Formats: sequence, structure tokens, C-alpha cells
Amino acid sequence: MKRLFVVFLVTCFLIAGSVTLAASKDELIVYHWWTAGGEKEAIDALFEAFLEEHPNAKIVENPVAGGGGGIMRAQIKTMIMAGNPPDTFQITYGHGMISSFASVLQPIDKLIKGYNIPESVYEWGRVNGKMYGVPLNLMQNNCLWYNTDLVEKLGIKMPIESIYDFLVVCSKIKEAGYVPLAVGAGMGQKFWLGTLFEAINSSLPGGGADFLNEYYAGNIVPSESSVFKNTLQVMKTLIDNNLINDDFSALTWDQAGDLMATGKAVFYVMGDWAKGHFTAMGLKPRVDFGYQPFPGSGGTFVGHADCFVLPVGVNKQLAKDWIKFLTTVKAANTFCPIKGAAPFVLDAPLDVYDSITKEILGYFRDENVSKVLSQFGAPPESYLDVFGTTFSKFFNNPVINEDTLAEFDYAYEEVFGF
Amino acid sequence: MSAPADCSTTFALTEGCIVLSKKIQILLFILPAIVLVGIFVYGFTAYTFQASLTRWRDVGLGGSFVGLENYIRLFTRDRVFKTSLINTLKLTSIFIGVTIPLGLLLAVLLDLKIKGRGVFRLIFLLPLSFSFVASAAMWTWMFSPNIGSINAFLRVIGLEALTQPWITSEKQALICIAIAYIWQFSGFSTLVYYAGISGVPPEISEAAKIDGATTFQRYTRVIIPMQKPATLTVLMILLMYSLRVFDLVWLMTGGGPGTSSEILATFMYRTAFNRNRFGYGASIGTIMFILSVIIVIPFFLKLRRSEYE
Repeated sequence: MKRLFVVFLVTCFLIAGSVTLAASKDELIVYHWWTAGGEKEAIDALFEAFLEEHPNAKIVENPVAGGGGGIMRAQIKTMIMAGNPPDTFQITYGHGMISSFASVLQPIDKLIKGYNIPESVYEWGRVNGKMYGVPLNLMQNNCLWYNTDLVEKLGIKMPIESIYDFLVVCSKIKEAGYVPLAVGAGMGQKFWLGTLFEAINSSLPGGGADFLNEYYAGNIVPSESSVFKNTLQVMKTLIDNNLINDDFSALTWDQAGDLMATGKAVFYVMGDWAKGHFTAMGLKPRVDFGYQPFPGSGGTFVGHADCFVLPVGVNKQLAKDWIKFLTTVKAANTFCPIKGAAPFVLDAPLDVYDSITKEILGYFRDENVSKVLSQFGAPPESYLDVFGTTFSKFFNNPVINEDTLAEFDYAYEEVFGF
Repeated sequence: MSAPADCSTTFALTEGCIVLSKKIQILLFILPAIVLVGIFVYGFTAYTFQASLTRWRDVGLGGSFVGLENYIRLFTRDRVFKTSLINTLKLTSIFIGVTIPLGLLLAVLLDLKIKGRGVFRLIFLLPLSFSFVASAAMWTWMFSPNIGSINAFLRVIGLEALTQPWITSEKQALICIAIAYIWQFSGFSTLVYYAGISGVPPEISEAAKIDGATTFQRYTRVIIPMQKPATLTVLMILLMYSLRVFDLVWLMTGGGPGTSSEILATFMYRTAFNRNRFGYGASIGTIMFILSVIIVIPFFLKLRRSEYE
């Protein structure tokens, strides 16, 4: 009897284990990294909208916070190597990032046929002529956010037209006892310094699209580029003159944003997802905080997107339906307004978007504005970590000499040559 | 019909029993453990070494054989490897150098039977029960230069001049991490020493007392010298741990600022999973393994010798 009981128990465990391992066809296992304010609400709403069309389905979501998706991507790699990928997962959209995963992804051209987005956006993400990810939300990276109360109090005239005017204004703010520019690059988020690099670069002569497209293609050696050195020089000016918060190495992007939102700092450079964070805090766009493209970078739109992909070996209809669903106006207009992003899909009604998002979308659709895919999509994935670390070193020891430039050359070779 | 044989005591060939020698019986019992350890420890160690000889840069594809190229690059060209190796050894030295004497001191204090020692014991041992994620969050906040409690305390008591950048400084980040590790593990070291001290026969201590030894002398001349096995145990366990630490470093600084707190384990993770250099990352893992073997084996042999003695 005792033996029979043990056999029964073991059988129960085995059955329970196999049921857990083999998710049912009505379950969609999704990995994403949207956990901060605004992002979380947006993905929850998106799941809800999907479930309206698939009432029998169940979403098994696995949010992995931290590292701008770096931690989740690392986890996904181990799952793929173990032969156990999720049904779908999030990565940033762009040929560089996607090519790091392309060998384990299914082409989805047939699934997203008819997705009404600009051809240039398709081009951003194609790897060897095929689409592997469905872009969901357009994001602008070279944004300058500001605290409207402080700007008014300090008599700062907005918008600021050039990087030089911006530096002058920052000096005045410093004298008034506030942090001019909030920066957060701590807790494994050093890559945000790369976002600041892009914004500053786009404001300098010779910078922006002309420079960044070649730079992210591996065609510019940092030490041989005067534009690269000039960008470092502006960053050095910000650091040397204490125009950024001294604890940037200890803050995440949202904590740095909070410095601006709570009136400790005046400016903040971050992509437009920061707007979702601010509104989740209860702040009103244009009332409590304002936006302009980073001073002097109005002719360049540095942007990227998030996308979802379909791993090799996933044949579940529900996963394919999810990819198809993301091409709809319903998906875009459910997710993007809450996230603080703009929709790619051209026929999406814009009445659900605030004026800042409409302005950002206006830049993106303006033919006179050059579009550049940011560090999150254009270069190989390793760029984020390698250059995040190198920029972090520079920020802690802002000296521009042969050694510094050799460090950047080494980093560049590590991304594009090694 | 004959009665069934009594198999419970049978080790020789007997009719009606499945006969196994005692050695085979023992082997069968430990076989599952041998198989699992063989696969998941030695098998994967060998696999890591094999991977370290490849150029493997795609998550979905295997690597191509490049011999010792990864190792040559590590020692001749890599700008971060040397820093992370030195940082690992620095962190290990500070961690071991403070945790062991501190644990011994706390164990002696507990053994002195002072009033309220139950409370002290709880305080000393509590950090052991904290998860690394919780303690990393706590220490990161404490060491934050602007909102952290340490600098806030210094400001409150009028010592603003002593406030520090802590984890945001290239010079102090590693020290901050070491402090967090020491805090977390001093309870373990205390526990082992306390068990060792409690195990000293009371008559030995009494004899020293009768011979006129003071409390200080009893501890320094009699009890502490008898803690050699406890020291070796703590040393070996902490050494093995500290050479492969990852959690607090990753969670508190991510190896930064710059590479100032980068250690071998974070560098390996970063290289393999953030930079997609799986073969190169495996070569860093192999170096970590060799380093651990070189450092730990002498202590292990010493421990075994002291056990036989």
C-alpha cells in the first residue's frame, strides 16, 4: 500500500511537470521588459485588447526589468540555447539588433503583409531582405524635456535654438542652484550616455544623420573623426562645469527623470517614453513639463522602435495571431498613447494622442527632417554594452587625449571588428 | 517447497537472492549523484573549455574552432580583462581579510556571555538570511551620494565635509561592494567560529584559568589557536565564493563606473550575453576556473591534512 502511494505521488509530479513544461495552445508566453510607469500600463492595455479578440486565450507574460532590455535579452539567449524559446519576445527594432537574433527567428513577411507603415521603416528592420520583427511604437530619442515651472521661474526662453545657447542657459541654471541637466546611467544602464551622445552629436555641424548612419555602420574610426571629438568636447564641458547631477552613476533613467519632474533639475535628455513616465506620475504634458528636440538637432530625428518577434520552432497559431494583431490600428492606438510613443501605422487616427506626440510624429513625417536609427537598433547589440562602458569611463574621467581616443577606437573595433 | 532464503544478510552467492557485493551496493546508491555531478559539473566544465576554443558570436549557431586565439587576445589585447582580474583579487583580499577576523571577534564576544548576547547573536546572523537582491538594493540606496542614508547622516551630525561619492566614484565603488559582502557574510564566519569555540572542552579553559591566565590570555593563547580547522573551513568556503561573486556587484554597480568595479564574473557575463561573444566569454570562465583551482587547492589539501592530524 505504501509503495502504491509513493508510485501515485511520483506519477502526479511527473504529470504536473509535463503539463507545466508544455504550455497549451491557448497560452501565449510573452517576454518583455516594460515594467516602469507608463510602459506597464501600456502593455497591460495591449494584452487586454488582444484578449478581446481571443477570449479563450491566456497570456503568460514574463516582464524582466532592468538594463533597457539587456537583462531580458540575456535570459532569452539562455532559453534559446536550451531549445526552449518563448512564443514571442520583445527586442528593439533595427537591422543591427535584429541581426543578432536573426538565426533563431522566423521571417514574418507573410504575417505582416499589408502593415501600413512607411517603406523606410521596413528598411530600418530588414535583415538580408526579410522582416523578422513587427515594429509597434515609434520613439524619438533626441528629446529635451524641461520642467515648465523652473523654466518660467528662471526666465529661460524656450525653445533653445542651439547647443551653444543650451550650454549658456545651463551655466545660468547652475548659478541659480539647480541641476541643469539630469542624467541617469547607473544600475547597469550606462548605455543612456549613448543617448546623450546621439542628441549632442545631432546638434553639431557634421553630426546627425550624416555622421550617425556611417558611425553605426562601422565606417568611422572615432579618433579620426573631428565630429566625434567635438561631441566628446561638449560632453566634457557639461561634466567639467558640473552641469549634470554628480550621482548619475547611481540613478536609473526614470530616477533621473524624477529629478526633473520634482523640480530638482531643469532639463532631461531622454527618448519620448519619458513622457509616459511623467504622465504616470500625474504630470500634464505642456503644463507641468515641456518638450523640444534637443537644441540644434531639430533637423534630425534619432529614433527607434520596439518590436515583437517569432522564434524558430514556434508554430502556435496564437503567436502568429499576436504578430498580426500588432499590425492593426487598434494595437497601435491602444498601446502608444499610454506608453507615450507615436504610432507607425499611417492610417491611425491621431485624436487619442497628446500634442507632444503629434509634434514628434510631425517631425518624423517631415521630409526635410533626416531620420536616423538610434544605438538601440542600428549597430550590433554589443554596441550598447561596449560603448556604455566606454562612455561611463569618460564621464568619470573626462579627459580627451590619445589614451581616451584609443579607448574609443578599441571599443569600436570590439563592436565592429572583433 | 523450501523456505525462501534470507537475502538481507546475503553478500555471497546464495540460491534465490539477487546478490550484490557491498561495494556494488554502495556504488548503486551514489550512482545518481555521480551521474548528475558528472554531467552538470564536469561535463559542462569540459563543454565550456571546448567553447572557449571557438569563435562563437551567434546565439543560434555554434562557433568555429580558433584554438587558443581567445586566450591570446585576453592576455595581450583586452583592456578590461586585466582590470577585472585585479579587481577580483582586490575584492577577494578585502572580503576575506576583514570577514574572517571580524567573524572571530564577534564569535569571541558572543562566547563571553555578556548580557543580551541573544540579541547580538540575532543581529550578527540576520544579514545571512537576506537575499542578495534585497541587500544590494539596501546598500545601493545607503551609498547613494545625494539620497543615501550614510551621507544624510553625516550631514545631520554636521560632518558634511566627510560625505563621499561612494558607489559613483571609480575609487570607492569596489570598497562599497566589499563592505556589502562583508556585512552579508560576517554572520557566517561568526557562526563557524562560534561553533568552534563552543567545541573547546571547558576543562582546557578551566585549566588555563587555574594557571592564572586572564580572559584575554585564555582566548589569545588557548582558544583562538585551537580554531585552525574553523579558520581553514571559513577561508576555503569564502575563497571559493569570492572568486566567483557576481550578484552584489552586478546589482549595485553593474561593474561601473566605467570598469572600476568590473570583476571576472561580471565581465564574463557581459561578454557572453550582452556582447554575444560566447566563445570569448567561455575563455574568461575557464580562466576563473583555473584561478579558483590554483588558489583553493592548497587550502583544500591543508584542510585534509589537518583533518588527518
